[in-house]
Amino acid sequence: MSGAVWSYSENESVSNEVASAAADVAKGASAEPVVLEIGAVRAGVRAPGAKLLLKGPATSDVPPEVAAEAIAKASKQLQPAAILIGATRYGREIASRLAVKLTVGCLSEVSKLSADGNALAGERNAFAGKVVAKVSCALPAIATVKVGYYAAVESAGTAVTESDVGQVNPLVKVVSREKKAAGAVDLRSAKVIVSAGRGVKKKEDLPMLEELAREMHGALGCSRPLSSDLGWLPEEHHIGLTGVTVKPDLYLALGISGQLQHTAGMKDSKVVAAVNTDKDAPIFQASDYGIVGDLYQIVPAIRKALASRR
Amino acid sequence: MRIAVCVKHAVDETELKIDSGGKPLLSGATSRMSTFDKNAVEEGLRLKAAHQGEVVIFTVGPSDSKKTMKEALAMGADKGVLVTADTTSIDTMRTASLLAAAIKKAGPFDVVLCSEGSSDTYSGQVPPMLGEMLGAAFTGYARKLEVNGQTARVERSLEDSLEVVEAPLPVVASVVSEINEPRYPTLIQIMQAGKKPLEELNGDQLQPAGAYRQASVVSMSAQQSARKHVMIEGSPDEAAAKLVEALIREGVLSK
Ligand SMILES: Cc1cc2nc3c(=O)[nH]c(=O)nc-3n(C[C@H](O)[C@H](O)[C@H](O)COP(=O)(O)OP(=O)(O)OC[C@H]3O[C@@H](n4cnc5c(N)ncnc54)[C@H](O)[C@@H]3O)c2cc1C
Ligand SMILES: Nc1ncnc2c1ncn2[C@@H]1O[C@H](COP(=O)(O)O)[C@@H](O)[C@H]1O
Repeated sequence: MSGAVWSYSENESVSNEVASAAADVAKGASAEPVVLEIGAVRAGVRAPGAKLLLKGPATSDVPPEVAAEAIAKASKQLQPAAILIGATRYGREIASRLAVKLTVGCLSEVSKLSADGNALAGERNAFAGKVVAKVSCALPAIATVKVGYYAAVESAGTAVTESDVGQVNPLVKVVSREKKAAGAVDLRSAKVIVSAGRGVKKKEDLPMLEELAREMHGALGCSRPLSSDLGWLPEEHHIGLTGVTVKPDLYLALGISGQLQHTAGMKDSKVVAAVNTDKDAPIFQASDYGIVGDLYQIVPAIRKALASRR
Repeated sequence: MRIAVCVKHAVDETELKIDSGGKPLLSGATSRMSTFDKNAVEEGLRLKAAHQGEVVIFTVGPSDSKKTMKEALAMGADKGVLVTADTTSIDTMRTASLLAAAIKKAGPFDVVLCSEGSSDTYSGQVPPMLGEMLGAAFTGYARKLEVNGQTARVERSLEDSLEVVEAPLPVVASVVSEINEPRYPTLIQIMQAGKKPLEELNGDQLQPAGAYRQASVVSMSAQQSARKHVMIEGSPDEAAAKLVEALIREGVLSK
């Protein structure tokens, strides 16, 4: 492999993760990792390697349609060997559009990326995490990088080069954007995660779990129905295949059945404990410690046990 | 209004068996409609109820996919187009290009619906690729979709925000599961679905493979997991105290 390995995400912290992936791929190959910025250089993107600023599109807001067009234009000019994009909801669109624009193969949701001769190689979950698949695509190639797998690499200011890609006129117009209910936690760096499932009967009961999380110096996560169907927590709080992947020291699942799509996002936790009223709930198969019981009784009891140790 | 819905016949992960060597037994595995595609079909039926027209189901897959397509027809779709291809060996680009070719052939369509991601591979790539290939507006992760005249208004669910966007028709959209509650077909609908038109096209004839190197799966193995499976007994207070003790012993709880 030779040439550059580009990385991009519209999200600053994911951008740092993808930059680490690009550095991994570049290492061992005679390639150079390059972090893409569109419109403006972001201070929060502290990536290893050089930065390439794509100028032309407006600076404040880069929708996926615009990002894809900008990256495609630069790519036709500069011919990178590989382009890595963070697998966020925007990112999947960017990568897919790029693949079509450039007629280049595209891997999805990959971790453990490397350059393998003339190909980009990696691993991904298949069948809701029941199976691990080794995947590969001949260069030049594109991949969406699984969020939550790579640690950001701290690095000092890097050289910035620029490329003018001109204006892009998207078909899709953003009318408004509204933040979902605030969630200040960063699940990916939390050492302890207390995670809520449909066993929690109403939104008003979440503070009890939040308190427990705080007392354990951890953060509150949830299963998909709580963020998606019920809207009790932002989407970025849900753990699993379609949400975040976490690997805390302790994952405490409360009222979560443990379907494959959920466990796909927490199976690499160091210790897993679960509370569920159903003794046959699959979550117990994915746990080190299990209590068959009602979370409304067990959670207060755990808080009491913690308090008595202080 | 003409509405296309892309529906995948996906391997049922809950039924998938693993052999003694740790390899998934894909040949002979049970498949069924990709979970969230039911929401895409439902949304297509809702658009038809509001605007008249027809709903056409598109599937790329083996002949066995007809089972899944008939389910969509039983829900209320009008007809189906199956593009035969071996979905275990083609990538998202090839899948999208076959869908695009079939949709163009049967088109034009005002709205093309997919789900956010298929339940077996979850790549979320086919829908935006399709938008790009059809030269249509694309908007992903729709949790609400309305069409007024020649404009679609979509509420997109992003990680930390809700975004409202407008796009001119034709539009390709992927939906999330909270957009609706899919209906269950009645027995009569299931019986009638067999009589609805279901066209079959050969993938290689419809559209020869493109001039790029496909992404491929090199090997697969079962996910390894080694957990202790200790069940803690006793009253809530006793169980909680034992759990806290165990977690401190493991060194995962600071006192
Ligand atoms: C393509 C796809 C992707 C998906 N991605 C994700 C994902 O990323 N993350 C995710 O979480 N899900 C995902 N899902 C959904 C997943 O399949 C499950 O439906 C979901 O995880 C179930 O959430 P749950 O365990 O909270 O709810 P349920 O399955 O309803 O389980 C609730 C559990 O709570 C227990 N319970 C009830 N009352 C109590 C009580 N008082 N005390 C203790 N226990 C109690 C019940 O016994 C039950 O086990 C996905 C699905 C698909 C098809
Ligand atoms: N083989 C297929 N046939 C029909 N539609 C598909 C196929 N593969 C993917 N799709 C559509 O694209 C969506 C996302 O799939 P994926 O990109 O595989 O995650 C699915 O929910 C379907 O709507």
